[in-house]
Amino acid sequence: MAIITISRGSLSGGRAVAECLAEHLGVPCVAREILQEAALSLGVSEQAMHEEFETTPGRWARLHQERETYLLAVRSALADRCVDGRLVYHGLAGQFLLRGVRGVLSVRLIAPLELRIQALVKQHHRMSGAAGQEFIANVDEERRRWVRELYGEDVEDPSLYDLTVKLRAMSLDTACTAIAEAAAQSEYEVTAEVKAGLEAFAATCRQALETRMARA
Amino acid sequence: MAACLAEQLGYRSVGREVLQDAAERLGVSAELLEQKMSGRPSLWSRFSSMRRAYIVAVQAALAERAVEGDLVYHGLAGGLLLGRVPGTLRIRLIAPLEHRVRAVMAESEMDAATAERYIRDVDAARARWVKAMYGVDIMDPRLYDMVIRLDPMTVAGACAVVAKVVAQPEFALTDDVRAALRDFLTACRVKLALVGETELRALDLDVSVEGGVVEVTGVAPLLKNGSVGNRIVELAHGIPGVEQVRLKVEWFDPYP
Repeated sequence: MAIITISRGSLSGGRAVAECLAEHLGVPCVAREILQEAALSLGVSEQAMHEEFETTPGRWARLHQERETYLLAVRSALADRCVDGRLVYHGLAGQFLLRGVRGVLSVRLIAPLELRIQALVKQHHRMSGAAGQEFIANVDEERRRWVRELYGEDVEDPSLYDLTVKLRAMSLDTACTAIAEAAAQSEYEVTAEVKAGLEAFAATCRQALETRMARA
Repeated sequence: MAACLAEQLGYRSVGREVLQDAAERLGVSAELLEQKMSGRPSLWSRFSSMRRAYIVAVQAALAERAVEGDLVYHGLAGGLLLGRVPGTLRIRLIAPLEHRVRAVMAESEMDAATAERYIRDVDAARARWVKAMYGVDIMDPRLYDMVIRLDPMTVAGACAVVAKVVAQPEFALTDDVRAALRDFLTACRVKLALVGETELRALDLDVSVEGGVVEVTGVAPLLKNGSVGNRIVELAHGIPGVEQVRLKVEWFDPYP
């Protein structure tokens, strides 16, 4: 049993590593599903929620109340998925949403810019390398600002993660092996006590969401 | 961590020994070299040619130890000193300040405040040194293959993860990697020979080696008797395994 969150820049192999891990460990792999479930619990469309999560900080600031409600809904949806101690999550902000929760292995993947550009150009044949580089730089900056605005942290700070893995010399398979080995260590074991903590965390998250929705 | 890895993998483990080897070659004390390796950049800049000699000596000492592979190095700037040598796994460990303070207090008679100040001073000195020498931020995770936070992960857990990674094919000690390590050692030996000469020490020269062919690049003064170029070639040919020397140096007229 394991709970692993994977944070990464766009086109950094996050999905591939997450799927490899989920297969290796025999646990569910989720990302967008959490947003869908959160949207459902709030009665809004997934698209609306997705847009809010991708919105720049300036707009976020104006929508402060709504933002907090959305974040509480996402955290609650993720916490509900964690209660049985078996999950690989490669969606937004896993390292923050589950910060301090015992039994969670938090991972950051880093891929060299040239590999990310190659992956992007492969997906969009008409895109030039320079345009690809600009696109990735913009997305990275947007994500950095988003995290700074919401959590006051630098998303690339390695002290936020249990493990930061660079995919250059290391292949996706080896990264998967390394993370699985880390998750197998006793400090990440989902014991009965950890499970009780996960259930309590999920209950707290649900309660916080319900209180917020009642107030709204 | 290094001891755990060395034991688990059956590797040799070195740290300060590399500095001692380098100090011996330079004929200075290990303490002096250590002090120079972590000196403030402002001080360093006053001795830039000696700085180059110190770094090259440490790099060469590390290359001598690394050439056979199967080594755990836990000294300063290992990943940077080894450059782009393949088959090298670069790890950074980070631990919460309070854990480090407790560790220092257990090993010394410092109180908590002194231990914290000591840790911050050492960290700052190392960061300054790496910034001055390589122009990079020692904390930048992109410099390493893995950064491991020792909280809640234990040293034993981190050791197990690293050992698992080392066992993967991309870090295997293949014939190609052995050849690259030998080339790197030859390059370090040539560089050491060059900085050993007072008139060459201050020059901005770089050395790369591939299969016994040495390539020297950089900027140097063109003297009418060609003495600088001749001396570089002569010194490089004095290193075992060097078959050919290519000078790709940008020459400038020192007396325009």
